[in-house]
Amino acid sequence: MKITREFVRDGKTVAVTAEFVEGDRWRVRVGDAVHEYHAKALGDGGVRMQSVGESPERAFVAYGAPANKAYMVRADGRTWTLEAPAQKRGGGAAAGDGTVRAPMTGTVLEVACKPGDEVTAEQTLVVVSAMKMEHKLTAGVAGTVKKVAAQKGGTVDQGAELVVVEPKKAEAKS
Amino acid sequence: MRLALIPGRRALAAAAIVRGFAMAKNPPFRRVLIANRGEIALRITRGLRELGIESVAVHSDVDARCAHVLGADHAVALGGNTSAESYLDFGKILAAAKRTGAEAIHPGYGFLSENAAFARAVRDAGLVFVGPNPEAMDRLGGKKAAREEAIAAGVPVIPGTEKDTGDAALIAFGKQIGMPVMVKASAGGGGRGMRMVEREDDLAEALAAGRREAKASFGDDRMILERAVFPARHIEIQLIGDQHGHVVSLHERECSVQRRHQKVLEEAPSAVVGEELRQRMGAAAIALAKRVGYDNAGTAEFLLDPKGNFYFLEVNTRLQVEHPVTELVTGVDLVHLQLHVAAGGKLEQLLAGRDLRPRGHAIEARICAESPETGYIPAAGLLRVVREAEGPGVRVDSGVYSGWEVPPYYDSMLAKLVVHAPDRATACARLSQALRDMVYLGIPTNVDFLKRVVDDDAFRTAAISTDMLKHRPELAAGDKAGPDDHALAAAVLTQALGKAGAATGGGNGGGAAAGGGGDAGSTAVWQALGGFRLFEGAAR
Repeated sequence: MKITREFVRDGKTVAVTAEFVEGDRWRVRVGDAVHEYHAKALGDGGVRMQSVGESPERAFVAYGAPANKAYMVRADGRTWTLEAPAQKRGGGAAAGDGTVRAPMTGTVLEVACKPGDEVTAEQTLVVVSAMKMEHKLTAGVAGTVKKVAAQKGGTVDQGAELVVVEPKKAEAKS
Repeated sequence: MRLALIPGRRALAAAAIVRGFAMAKNPPFRRVLIANRGEIALRITRGLRELGIESVAVHSDVDARCAHVLGADHAVALGGNTSAESYLDFGKILAAAKRTGAEAIHPGYGFLSENAAFARAVRDAGLVFVGPNPEAMDRLGGKKAAREEAIAAGVPVIPGTEKDTGDAALIAFGKQIGMPVMVKASAGGGGRGMRMVEREDDLAEALAAGRREAKASFGDDRMILERAVFPARHIEIQLIGDQHGHVVSLHERECSVQRRHQKVLEEAPSAVVGEELRQRMGAAAIALAKRVGYDNAGTAEFLLDPKGNFYFLEVNTRLQVEHPVTELVTGVDLVHLQLHVAAGGKLEQLLAGRDLRPRGHAIEARICAESPETGYIPAAGLLRVVREAEGPGVRVDSGVYSGWEVPPYYDSMLAKLVVHAPDRATACARLSQALRDMVYLGIPTNVDFLKRVVDDDAFRTAAISTDMLKHRPELAAGDKAGPDDHALAAAVLTQALGKAGAATGGGNGGGAAAGGGGDAGSTAVWQALGGFRLFEGAAR
C-alpha cells in the first residue's frame, strides 16, 4: 500500500508519500527526506507513531480529520491545519485583495460603508458577531467600495463575500 | 470530662456518612429542569442523577442533538435558534417545566442565571429557582447596586460612577478620574460589554460597543465607568448560603489569566493569597452576602493590587464556570449543595464534619472553539474528532462529542479541562500533559494556546496578572514555523491507517480489539447516563 498527499509548507508544495514496508513499519517521504516509522492504528482513528532506528525518538499519537477543505492533524500535542496546494486561502480576514469575507459564521451587526465610498486599509467596513463576540472587519487595502453584499441583521456563512473594495492604484504611479 | 462530650473527628465523619445516606434516600426534588445548554447542563445532570433526581433538558432547534440533551432523562424542544428565541424565553421554559412536572429550575451560568425577573417568575409559577432569592439578586445583581451594598458593608471598592448617567456625563467623568478607565455593562458578568479604555478619544466608541454587547447579552444596555486598577490579580471568593441566614466561604479562586476580560485559566488556591488574606477576603464577602440576605451559590470578585489591597468588583449571583476548581480543593459538590439549600437544607447540617480548608492545587483551562493565533476568531462548525484527556487527577466537563456541529449562536466554550494535584507545580505539569492529550479536530480551538500559556515561565512561577496576555501577544500568536516532517508524516499515516482502523475495528497493530470507531466510543458516555425520552415541543 502506498498513498501520496500534497500539502503546503512555508508557501511551498511538499509531496508526502507513505509506503507500507512490513509488520507495522511504514516508509514516509517528505519532499526529499525519507523517514521510517512504526505506526499502529489505535482503533479510534488515532495512530501511534515512532521513528525506526538505533535510538528512536519518543513515540507520539496522531489524529487527523478534514476541516473546511484543509486537513487538520494533531500530532505530539500540536495541531496543524494543512492546506492542499490547489486550495486558495479560505475565508480568512482581509487578504489584501480588497475582498472582505466573513471570518466565521455569524450575523452582521453593522455595515459601515456603501458602494462608492473611499476607504482606508484599516477602516472598519463591517461588524460581524458570532458566539457573542464582535469582530470588526477591514479591507486591508485602501480603495473604493465596489460592492456591499452584507446586510445589517443578516446571517453569513464563513467565507462569504461581504464587501469588495477596488484597491487604489497608488503603487502604479510611484 | 468536658472533652469527652465533644465528638471526635471520626465520629463526625461517621455521622456525615449516615446523614449522606439519609439525604440520598430523600432527594430534595424529584425532577429538575435545567435552563441551559452544553457542558454546564450536562454537569448539572450528573449532579442531579447522583442525588436521585430526574433531569429535564431544554434545547433550541440546532441543539436537538447537543450532548446535554442526549445525556438528560427528559428533553423539551423550545424551538428557535437564537438565545432570545430559546434559552432566554421565560414563557417557553416555564411551560416546559410545567409540562414535565419539574419542581425546580437550575439556570446554570449565563442565560437567565442572574435574571431576578426570571427567578421571580419561577417562584410565582410555584416552582423553586436553584439560585439566590430575587431580592438579594436585585441588590447585588447589577454592578452599581452591588457596589453600593459593598460600601455599606465596609468592603473596599474602586472609585467610579454609581450609575449610567448617559454618554456625555460618563465621558466627562472618565476624563476627570483619568485614563485608563473601565467601561462596564451595569447588568453584566463574564466580561461581556466590558472594556478598558486608555485614550480619552476612544471613550465614545467603547461605550457604544459596550452597549451593543450588553444589549445582546443581557437585554439591558446600561453602562458604568470606573478607574482601572492594574497590574491586578483577579481573586474571587466562592460563597454558599442557606435560607436560614448562614453563609460559608469556600475560599478563593485566582482567575488572573484573562483575555479581553474573559477568563482563560482559573486556579485554587491562589499562589499569592495566604491564610490571613484568605480570611479577610472571605469575611468581607460573607459580610456583603449577609447584608443582602443572600442564599445559594455566589461569587464575590475582587481585584488584588501588588501591595495586597483588594477591591470589590462584583458579585456573580450564580454558579460560576470555574466552580470545579473549588470543588476539587474543598471536596464539596457545589451543585449538590445548591440543590439542598434551594430545598431549604441547612448548611450547618450539610457541611457538618467537613474540613473545608483547601488541599492540593486545582487548575481549570477553558477549551474554546476559537483561534487565538488569528485574533481569537470564534469558529462554529463540525467537530469531526473529539478525544478528551483522562487519568489521575484529570476532570473533563465537556459538552461536545465527535460528530457534533458547534452552532454559531452561543458561547464558544466546548469543555473545561480541570486538574487536581498535591501542589501547584505538579498541577501545572498535569495540565500541560492533559492539554497534550486533548484532541479536537474539524474546527480551530485554543488548546495549543492554552498549552503555551501553561508552559510559560510566567504561569509556572505564578507571575500572572489580568493584563498578562495583552503584554505577551506571542502567547496567542504561537511560533510561525510550518509543520515539521513528523506532522506531515502523521497527516498521511492517519489517512492511510486511521480511517481504515476505525472502519474495521482493527488495524495492523493488532491492538485494536476495542470495537467501534471514534464516534461510538465518545457517545457511549451519554448513552450510559441513563434513560432518555423526548417530550414534544413545548407549548408557546
